[in-house]
Amino acid sequence: MRNLWLIAQREFIEKVKSRSFILTAFFGPILLLAVLFGLFKFSDNGKKHWDVLITDPTGLLERKMLPNQDKAINYFFLEDYVEMETFRDAKMYQKFDALVEINEKVLTNKTAFVFYRQKPSLKLQTKIQYHSERRLEEIMVKRFTKLSIASFRKIKQPLNVAFRNVYDPFDESSDVRGWVGYFYGLLIIGFVFLYGMTILRSVSQEKSNRIIEIVLGSVSPRKLMAGKIIGIGITAIIQLIIWMLLVAIGLFLMREFIFQNNLDLTAMVNVQMTEQVKNTTLLDQLVRGDEQNDFLNLIYERVQFGTMNFYFVLFFLASYLFYGAFFTAIGATAGSESDGQQFIVPILLLLLISAYSGYYCLNNPESDLTYFFQYLPFTAPIVAMVKLAIGYEPGTAFQLYLSLFSLVLGAVISLNIAGRLFNNGVLQFGHRIRLSMIFNWLKRKQ
Amino acid sequence: MIEIQQLTKSYNRKVALDQVSITIPTGKIVGLLGPNGAGKTTLIRIINQIITPDSGHIRFFGDLLKPKHLNEVGYLPEERGLYRTMTVEAHALFLGQLKGMNKQEVRVQLDYWMNKFDILSWKTKRIEELSKGMAQKVQFIFTVLHEPKLLILDEPLSGFDPINVEIIKKELLALKEKGTTIILSTHNMKSVEEICDFAYLIAEGKVVASGTVAELQEAKKEGVYAIKFSGNMIAFVNALWTNYELIDKEIIGDNRFITYVKMRGEAGFEELLTALIGQVKLEAAWEVLPSMHDVFVQTIQERKEATNA
Repeated sequence: MRNLWLIAQREFIEKVKSRSFILTAFFGPILLLAVLFGLFKFSDNGKKHWDVLITDPTGLLERKMLPNQDKAINYFFLEDYVEMETFRDAKMYQKFDALVEINEKVLTNKTAFVFYRQKPSLKLQTKIQYHSERRLEEIMVKRFTKLSIASFRKIKQPLNVAFRNVYDPFDESSDVRGWVGYFYGLLIIGFVFLYGMTILRSVSQEKSNRIIEIVLGSVSPRKLMAGKIIGIGITAIIQLIIWMLLVAIGLFLMREFIFQNNLDLTAMVNVQMTEQVKNTTLLDQLVRGDEQNDFLNLIYERVQFGTMNFYFVLFFLASYLFYGAFFTAIGATAGSESDGQQFIVPILLLLLISAYSGYYCLNNPESDLTYFFQYLPFTAPIVAMVKLAIGYEPGTAFQLYLSLFSLVLGAVISLNIAGRLFNNGVLQFGHRIRLSMIFNWLKRKQ
Repeated sequence: MIEIQQLTKSYNRKVALDQVSITIPTGKIVGLLGPNGAGKTTLIRIINQIITPDSGHIRFFGDLLKPKHLNEVGYLPEERGLYRTMTVEAHALFLGQLKGMNKQEVRVQLDYWMNKFDILSWKTKRIEELSKGMAQKVQFIFTVLHEPKLLILDEPLSGFDPINVEIIKKELLALKEKGTTIILSTHNMKSVEEICDFAYLIAEGKVVASGTVAELQEAKKEGVYAIKFSGNMIAFVNALWTNYELIDKEIIGDNRFITYVKMRGEAGFEELLTALIGQVKLEAAWEVLPSMHDVFVQTIQERKEATNA
């Protein structure tokens, strides 16, 4: 065991001292933060100006919405009923960005629907809700009370405005949180590839300069392999911790000093969207505030970083062991460094398929193929991260543990295979890998 | 004593070692000779427990060879490599600790050996800064750092200049004097003659000859004697009976020669000298033994002929 740690320690020190580690550790997060900053700052939430069609078959709103025109929204009234599907498909409605459905029961059930083609920003959503609610207040006061509008506002119930995508009214496709899971999954794939290649290079370099034979005079091949995987794995974890810390600090600083206005407002909107819009203060803030940004909201308000990071580390470790075993096996069986390079392609393909499976899951989180992908060790890490980000349905959380279990099981099997290939292949030099050779080594004891 | 008993190892259908039995006495230097692909490296790797034999076993100073014995073995492979970016000291610490030493012990031993070779200033140099010869010297030090009971050296002298060859030979003999058992795998037959007490000749996975260097030479001698004399060459030839055959001669001065004479039939060395006395002035006479190089070539040749037949 002491020798295993000595090997791991040497690998760790060598990799941590390398220039590439330092560059990746510091420039990686900076690059990531720069991308996030760009997305926060410049991401476009679609059109800034909206044409909204209000279907009001009973003429309740009397073709009025606001005393003053809002620059961001133009309301059009139709005193007829328009089905959501008609609005979605009919050519004559394509110029409208959203349809607000005001039915005759709105005064009693306090519920209105907004069907949009492209998701409006929070600011626009709030405005539509605010405008609708104000107008309905006026009507209610006029029809049912002798109170002033101000007095009525104090006792009124909030209007529940439900926003629906016309192309996905039942919200079947994953929401934007899935992208965060996908990003985590890609990070796993990226890191696994980066550090898998490090293992491969380490093994093939030691083979080509023959130091491996000296080391094997002191430790068994399996311990050498384990030491390498552990040492490089610790390096990867340190790298990840640096990334997480730097990104967290960066996000914190951006929130505190750059996007403070946006976020204050975002938080407020989140709390109050479903509550009563009681006075004009909120509107004033909305008007004064910067444009809302879904992405900003997503990162700072909607992602459960604690849970995501916890499972990210677990899935990363299991994936690293699973895929790392393949890289180790290639390094050990290759006759030369260049011989090993050609065998990277199949692994790279597997990683790309894995990346695609995550994208597929993002769009089809409940499909049979996704179900299959999440239990396949090759694709489990990325699919599980996407599903975790979207959120498992109550009672289906076992899928996450099963994903992790299948990946760990896969890692145990692949490490076993790699161990056998390492034993038999690591002292073979100068040959070209052939499949028959690999089968022979797999069969051979040592 | 290291006793290798009935060791067999095959790779798929190729037999690398076939029932090999070798005894290596404690405190002796034993040469392991054989052509390329004979199975020497396989044998060395089995002793180092890098690979396991299909059958047979090894007794290491009385015990069955186990992983715990690895710390008592020092191994210098033929194709040497070191971690290029590590300093000499860091490298020594790594390899020394792998052999069970603590850091302090490594440092003491490293200083001792570096002082001995007068290379103490290299301690902080990175391996990549050393020349090939320097790196080999450093690697020799790493091999003996933990004072192993058994030292396995695969071509330890290759790559060294003649001065360093002598230094290494001297150190090997000094280690032997201290009781270290040494296995020397080499193609350098001169060094075998000079420093090996015993030699095993391996070919096609089998031990084909073994014994002390003198015994091996004795086994292959052809009854050739060298006579150094001054006088007339014709008189020398006339003095030889039909029982002797002049096979070669060297002129070493005015009427001074070294001749090589091969015995025929029952005639002996004493009869030869008796025949020559009075005919030429004898300066010296000795039996010509084959060099280890000749022993090696002849043995392998004979084996090939036997196999073909």
